Amino acid sequence: MRVADLAHGRSGDKGDTCNVGLVAWDDEGYRTLCRELTEERVAAHFGSLVKGSVTRHEMPGIRALNFVLTGALDGGGTLSLRSDHLGKVMYAWLLRMEIAGDR
Amino acid sequence: MSRTVRLGAGMAFWGDRVQPAIEMVERGDIDYLCCDHLAELTMSILAKQRARNPDRGYTRDILDLLRGALPAIVEKGIRVVTNAGGANPHAAAEAVVALVKELGLSGVRVAVVTGDDIEPAIDDLTDRGVTFDNLDTGEPLSTVRDRLTHAAVYTGCEGIVSALDQGAQIVICGRVTDIALYLGPLVHEFGWARDDWERLGMATVVAHAIECGGQATGGLYDGGWADVPGLEELGYPIAEVSEDGTAVVTKTPGTGGRVDVGTVSEQLVYEILDPANYLTADVTADFTQVRLEEVGPDRVRITGGTGRPAPATLKVNMGYRAGFVGETQFTYTWPRAYEKAQRGLEFLRKRLAAADFRCSDELVEYLGHTSMWGGRVAEPDDPDLPEVVVRYAARCPDADEARKVFTESVPLYNNGPAGIAGIGTRPPLKELYAIWPALIPREHVVQSVEILEV
Repeated sequence: MRVADLAHGRSGDKGDTCNVGLVAWDDEGYRTLCRELTEERVAAHFGSLVKGSVTRHEMPGIRALNFVLTGALDGGGTLSLRSDHLGKVMYAWLLRMEIAGDR
Repeated sequence: MSRTVRLGAGMAFWGDRVQPAIEMVERGDIDYLCCDHLAELTMSILAKQRARNPDRGYTRDILDLLRGALPAIVEKGIRVVTNAGGANPHAAAEAVVALVKELGLSGVRVAVVTGDDIEPAIDDLTDRGVTFDNLDTGEPLSTVRDRLTHAAVYTGCEGIVSALDQGAQIVICGRVTDIALYLGPLVHEFGWARDDWERLGMATVVAHAIECGGQATGGLYDGGWADVPGLEELGYPIAEVSEDGTAVVTKTPGTGGRVDVGTVSEQLVYEILDPANYLTADVTADFTQVRLEEVGPDRVRITGGTGRPAPATLKVNMGYRAGFVGETQFTYTWPRAYEKAQRGLEFLRKRLAAADFRCSDELVEYLGHTSMWGGRVAEPDDPDLPEVVVRYAARCPDADEARKVFTESVPLYNNGPAGIAGIGTRPPLKELYAIWPALIPREHVVQSVEILEV
């Protein structure tokens, strides 16, 4: 299964840092995401798209995980040469990630 | 029944639609219209406008908005808080005063909140020990001092509170934080102590939920964009804030869009870093225990936010000129489109080298394939593909270098491989501004308020 089967998301920029927020549709999906989406696995999934670090934060009351990706926007929104200079669609790359799950 | 204060999010960025704000003042039963016009880069652009013309340097969409909304604002006694002043709040206020007169309205008190612009004081502040080292890299400001476009402190809600206390109906600020636009009215209305961290933190969560306008009401909604009704007439969010800082988020009646737990959740996670330490000039907010509950159609209650003392330093948003982007785009067709594109790029690079082209970085994207997640997605090398679109961009030290990119790509039309189309006309040159993030102890920053009467 993919992350997209369990959650929806949104991403954006702060300088050269991109944050990807995921919101799970239910409690079971949130538990699965917490188990599967370790910082190491998410960093490996983004690979060369993230030059810096990946840090995960939890917001259990809304079943959300927030991933902070540093060095992810080619120098930041104001400098970046990329078409997606603000990291608006970085969330969708995480939604494509294959994970182990029951559904 | 405790009273609520109704805050409407009128604008989310410079250039946003103004119609949602107009509908909100007419039908949204709001007490305050809060408008955020400034993104990270906006101040650089506005500072440049001010340098060319001392009457400019603010976001002029505030005039479009007020032209449509002022009659209802005056009639209903709604108050407006905006950071449209940008790099020149006084000029914005004078333009607003002129507009009020032009519309034949009177009795409007306009306030100008300043104190964020520290650019003229940088050397003095440096002498007094403020280093302005780059927050991310640690480099000293001297690296870019001669290229600075502006220096604006992300200031808090104090000036707004003072302006409202003095009876201002329209409060025009420079670079106050987006959050301050919402906290100001609440502190004024509820009389919260400035160290009431729990309420300020809770209200910060509410402000964050609505500050990006349509992104809370179904715009950009990944959780179900196809099912959001009326995106073309999207209504913007309104927060009914209670005295304890919690709120119900809703939207203007009779507009498109949707407010539910999904749409608000997505906005809560937008552009945050550590949710336990959401730093603002007024409070360090804690989002970690936030909860959402649907309490009616298009009505979501937000609770669970809290806060801790505000940081001892304020963030300074400085910008500096960082060169220009040179860019070109062209399309090759079947058969062997990718192979042709490779040959075309080789042609472009050799032509550029012959023109002594200088750039610090370059990027090749194949639109439709690698422009979003390049490096993680395969290049479009299937020889049977109908077409391959190439976008080439380079960061250049000056405008002359940047112009060379398009100039040297034009000969591809008749000197390069067959099967090319779509170079188009010369794109406008894009100047680059880089952000220099730094900190300043808050005692060096003093906001002041000036009142203009119409």
